[in-house]
Amino acid sequence: MNEHYRPTPGTPMEDLDTPCLVIDMDDLDNNMDVIADTYRDKTAKLRGHAKNHKTPAIAHRQIRRGGTIGGVCAAKVSEAEVMVHGGIQSVFITSEIVDPMKIDRLCALAGQAEMLVACDQANNARDLSRAAQASGVEVGVVIELETGLRRCGVREINQGVTLAKEINSLPGLKFRGVMSHQTIPDMPDREDRAVEANRTIKGVIDLKGAIEGEGISMDIVSTGETWSYDVAAEIPGVTEIQGGSYLMMETHYGYMTEFHYAAKILSTVISTPKPGTAIGDAGVRAVSSLSGMPTVFDRPGVSVESLDSDHSVFKVEPGVDLNVGDQVLLIPAQQDAMVSRWDRFIGLRKGEVEVVWDIQARGCHN
Amino acid sequence: MERPIFQPVGTPVEELDTPALVLDLDVMDRNIQVFQGYFADTAIKARPVVTSHLCPQIARRQLDADGTNGGIAVTTLGEAEVFANAGFADILLANEIVTVSKIRRLCALADQTSVGIAVDNPDNAQQLSSGATEAGVELRVLIEIEAGMGRCGISLGAGAIELAQKVNGLPGLKLEGIMGSVPGPRGDDYSDHQDRTLDNLQVIVEAKLSIERSGVAVPVVSVGGTHCYSQALQVPGVTEVRAGRYPLMDYRLKAFLPELNPAAKILASVISHPVDAMAVLDAGHKATAPDQGRPVLEGIEGGSATRFSAEHGIVDLEGDAQKLLNAGDKAWLVPYELGASVNQYDYFRASKNGKLEGFWPISARGRLA
Repeated sequence: MNEHYRPTPGTPMEDLDTPCLVIDMDDLDNNMDVIADTYRDKTAKLRGHAKNHKTPAIAHRQIRRGGTIGGVCAAKVSEAEVMVHGGIQSVFITSEIVDPMKIDRLCALAGQAEMLVACDQANNARDLSRAAQASGVEVGVVIELETGLRRCGVREINQGVTLAKEINSLPGLKFRGVMSHQTIPDMPDREDRAVEANRTIKGVIDLKGAIEGEGISMDIVSTGETWSYDVAAEIPGVTEIQGGSYLMMETHYGYMTEFHYAAKILSTVISTPKPGTAIGDAGVRAVSSLSGMPTVFDRPGVSVESLDSDHSVFKVEPGVDLNVGDQVLLIPAQQDAMVSRWDRFIGLRKGEVEVVWDIQARGCHN
Repeated sequence: MERPIFQPVGTPVEELDTPALVLDLDVMDRNIQVFQGYFADTAIKARPVVTSHLCPQIARRQLDADGTNGGIAVTTLGEAEVFANAGFADILLANEIVTVSKIRRLCALADQTSVGIAVDNPDNAQQLSSGATEAGVELRVLIEIEAGMGRCGISLGAGAIELAQKVNGLPGLKLEGIMGSVPGPRGDDYSDHQDRTLDNLQVIVEAKLSIERSGVAVPVVSVGGTHCYSQALQVPGVTEVRAGRYPLMDYRLKAFLPELNPAAKILASVISHPVDAMAVLDAGHKATAPDQGRPVLEGIEGGSATRFSAEHGIVDLEGDAQKLLNAGDKAWLVPYELGASVNQYDYFRASKNGKLEGFWPISARGRLA
């Protein structure tokens, strides 16, 4: 933990020690307000994914601004603990939890908040049931359907129906519904995204129909993500959208111009060894190069040529001035890889520090 | 922070809560002995680069063994602060520090421990001198020479000599010598590594000679990293090798230095085995940092880790391996680039003979500024 360095409110960006993770509060609020406006009159609501920001303060801020179901998603039990301890009342763990120690931690949380968990196998459902009974709690279970990511999830509607019957019969569990998660290549056109969302999300809607056809009721159909946040909400039957990247944004979703680049790495040029080249103090450990190189923000003629562990090499076009000591903002290709490397967000408004948020669930891999 | 379950000492490592970064102390100690042994009977000494593990306990173990000059090297000022607070008496910050605020921190640190700093431009030297004079401290300075990395460093030539002379004349600074880093092997082809490395090291030694010809002494010639040790030992003039990767190793350098073995691995659990040909692990890119290369699945013939999304690692399974790795089973991943993986954890789970010895804090994790 970087306990030595915590800038006070009012500190200008120019005075921050770098590299650091900054978040522009106007852009963050814009992104939250897009969500609030989008879901205001819809049945479906956002259940924002906490894995993207790992920060209860940010989860509360989105819930307060509107458009949400009043709870969050989490990827891990330890991440869910941070959210529950941070006052979030409902947490959906969107991964399968199979380890007995982790199941016990999940059940302990279910005594404090509403807990939902993804499931794709009957053995796991039985383990969850036994632990929930032993703890005297009820755990909500959501069946995961695979719809293109080739990861977890039941593969066939029939498998899902069989599993739903099993879960529905198990004490300590409450069968709550179905979920899926899918991704698409860049698709700027809203109509195209709507077609794609309908095609990929049809699976969970069909699964819902098949399970309800067996007389088993459910109240959750959780699906969607940033790319489908608006179009998935228009599909009848969908109750919750799992979006996360929209908050901080990343160049991967750059085509969604209603969302602004809120989170960036602030870096400093530490050397200009030859004309056309400058070296920055942020490398892979600071910004991540997963899904591609970061992009220089608002500095025409400067681009990232390569990243080492702790250095970035900038290409500087002729005639462009970039000197030792100058600051450079980087926007990531993939924001959650970047955020997961930092202990805190430094919130800036109009270029001055407004707030510092500890990323309390950073490192919560368990 | 990580929120691990602090299981009792003696717990078999395969029973640890996952994902877990597990350190085998015996393998590490052997790596330290083997590598630092190369420096035992020479004037050239190793200076451990602790950025690779960020863990004071490991650094202490390195300095307790033979072959070092008693100092360590770090990459960031934050790391230097952590290791100074952990009692390390000779810290080389092998990087440029250029802003007013950080120079102030650097000088405060120099009041606490002996600090060396890299410099590659005269304006920066002037700033450091002003900062040191104001704080009443002395900074040891190494001129950084560009030697093939294409990063920081001044190129061999008149500029480098002038910079050395300038530093030599500035109050608050003590010109100790020069430093340079040379590139590692390219991919799997090591055929030209020896010649390229000797050429790059020669550039650094040339810089020493040319500065000395101008009348300025250059007692220290510091070169890095682990991959250049055997060439460095052949080049007269080199005084220390900054090396970070050798105690824990990683997949990237393992084939190049087969006498050293990976000591830190990631233990993961299978959370789903949805179809015969695939198992899903609970360690994705956040738990492994595969930016510079994917971690490698160990010990499962017919199994290979092929994809890492944020929270999930995907293992493809062929033949008999399809019967293995069922939900709840454990799997070992060898990091490709260890430094990046370590950066995602707060503790090493230190182990001996397959049993937990303790949780060793990765104290300088996240100290990037």
